[in-house]
Amino acid sequence: MPLKRHQAQWPWHALLGLILLAMAVGLWIATKRVNYEWRWERVPQYFFYQDERAQSAPLAGVVSQIRPDGAYSRVDIKPADGGAPAAVAVETETLKVKAGDTVAEGDEIGAQRHWQIGPLTKGLWVTIWISFVSGFFGLAIGLVAGLCRLSPNPTLRGLAVFYIELIRGTPLLVQIFIFYFFIGTVLNLDRIVAGVGALALFVGAYTAEIIRAGIQSIAKGQTEAARSLGMTAAETMLHIVLPQALKRVLPPLAGQFISLIKDSSLVSVIAITDLTKSGREIITSSFATFEIWFTVALLYLVVTSLLSQLLFWLERRFARSD
Amino acid sequence: MIKVNNLTKVFASRGKPVRAVDDVSTQVNKGEVVVIIGPSGSGKSTFLRCLNGLEAFDDGQVIIDGVDLGDSKTNINTVRREVGMVFQHFNLFPHKTVLENVTLAQRVVRKRKADEAENKAMALLTKVGIAEKAHEYPSRLSGGQQQRVAIARALAMDPKVMLFDEPTSALDPEMVGEVLEVMQQLAREGMTMAVVTHEMGFAREVAQRVLFMDAGKILEDAPPAEFFTAPREPRAQTFLKQVL
Ligand SMILES: Nc1ncnc2c1ncn2[C@@H]1O[C@H](COP(=O)(O)OP(=O)(O)O)[C@@H](O)[C@H]1O
Ligand SMILES: [Mg+2]
Repeated sequence: MPLKRHQAQWPWHALLGLILLAMAVGLWIATKRVNYEWRWERVPQYFFYQDERAQSAPLAGVVSQIRPDGAYSRVDIKPADGGAPAAVAVETETLKVKAGDTVAEGDEIGAQRHWQIGPLTKGLWVTIWISFVSGFFGLAIGLVAGLCRLSPNPTLRGLAVFYIELIRGTPLLVQIFIFYFFIGTVLNLDRIVAGVGALALFVGAYTAEIIRAGIQSIAKGQTEAARSLGMTAAETMLHIVLPQALKRVLPPLAGQFISLIKDSSLVSVIAITDLTKSGREIITSSFATFEIWFTVALLYLVVTSLLSQLLFWLERRFARSD
Repeated sequence: MIKVNNLTKVFASRGKPVRAVDDVSTQVNKGEVVVIIGPSGSGKSTFLRCLNGLEAFDDGQVIIDGVDLGDSKTNINTVRREVGMVFQHFNLFPHKTVLENVTLAQRVVRKRKADEAENKAMALLTKVGIAEKAHEYPSRLSGGQQQRVAIARALAMDPKVMLFDEPTSALDPEMVGEVLEVMQQLAREGMTMAVVTHEMGFAREVAQRVLFMDAGKILEDAPPAEFFTAPREPRAQTFLKQVL
């Protein structure tokens, strides 16, 4: 069939939609079977919630007047003994008194409400900054280790190989435990420092291998051209090899950092309240197990896909000279 | 300008040592153009690369403008700025524009100011006839244009010697002329040059001497008129029959 035929694509898209729909229906039926009651309405409050603070009368007296002030109402209370009047501001919706009422000291007049950041938002933020900070240090460590790995000096090379093999040959979960319970105890590290340190060392080892491969992929002629112009080995690395190598390894590096965001969920085992840990804590009080885990998964997905969009855009910008 | 005494370079590839350059002695005087020819694998590139220290040699002596490369006190980087090299595959820096290719080493190695380096670069790019491409990236240039940029890049360091390793071998035939023309002009201006090439026309017209290499040795060293009409070595005779 050498002739290229233009086949309609929509039946396949329709099939894709159908399959996804069937999966959703299957999920729904499965939860029906275990008599799971969906309570999605409980989820938003874990992002933001309104904190109500009751406002009470500071003294006994009579409500002399109530003046509206935007969404608030200012309640003036005139004391029975003729002293200085007091004013209390509450939200009009929560107002519990009217003009002329007699109030005792401590009676609730109304409430003030404030928006508060919920645990899911806090956890998401912790996950983002922990990933960012450990990614930053991991990149620095990886750059140094990758360069050492290629160094002509056997000591540097040996240390780099040792570090890379050690990290890549053991599970991250175990590394986090060792870092927290052993190194953390010996050096008296904060759990956050231990968590970030373990993640940075972990991602550093993989970054080192990526950077080593990137440097080795740059043609030898580039180094020779630079060296024959009189540049030192360091100048050649800085101006010629590294810029080209980093551009080339951007896609695998991006993959590594996206993995890091997901792997950072493991620091919840040393009681760092990241997105995963927040999710677990919420479930103990909300009983909305499925909803919360789905939401947590969705949040990870949003962060990773935003990051991959960003890196895709960066990559396109770097492609100018091709 | 270049003095080579008993130069030997041995590659120990897969157990069997290859004497790529085998006890070679010769010299290139100031302002002289020497063309090196010989069959593939005869050690021409290796010989040339020993002259600017890209290849560490095993034995012998290379002296560039009075500086002994083998001396442990010699800083190879200082020697290399005086020795320009042009490669078969151009080796331009793909992440830099043409202008940046020519200014980079001036800034980094010669520590020139930005405008000084740029003026010098533009003058050289004009000289090799490619000034209008100064802000392009190398990938947008033809092979002949890239090689001319590579020559400008080497010249920007004000070298005392220029080494060319088959500068036209990777080019389409119609682009060979433009590169040879630039080289010819350089020779006329009195540049000291060592050129590995298969362009016999260039050797005949421009070179003062032709060195014929085979199996790591210089078998013949003669003026082109003599070499091309009456080569003494039987292997040079066979080689010439094949290429002419
Ligand atoms: N890096 C290297 N490692 C091992 N052998 C090499 C290397 N470079 C060159 N050689 C060998 O040295 C000999 C001379 O090579 P070369 O100088 O490139 O010859 P030419 O430039 O005349 O074609 C060849 O036998 C080649 O296989
Ligand atoms: Mg060669």
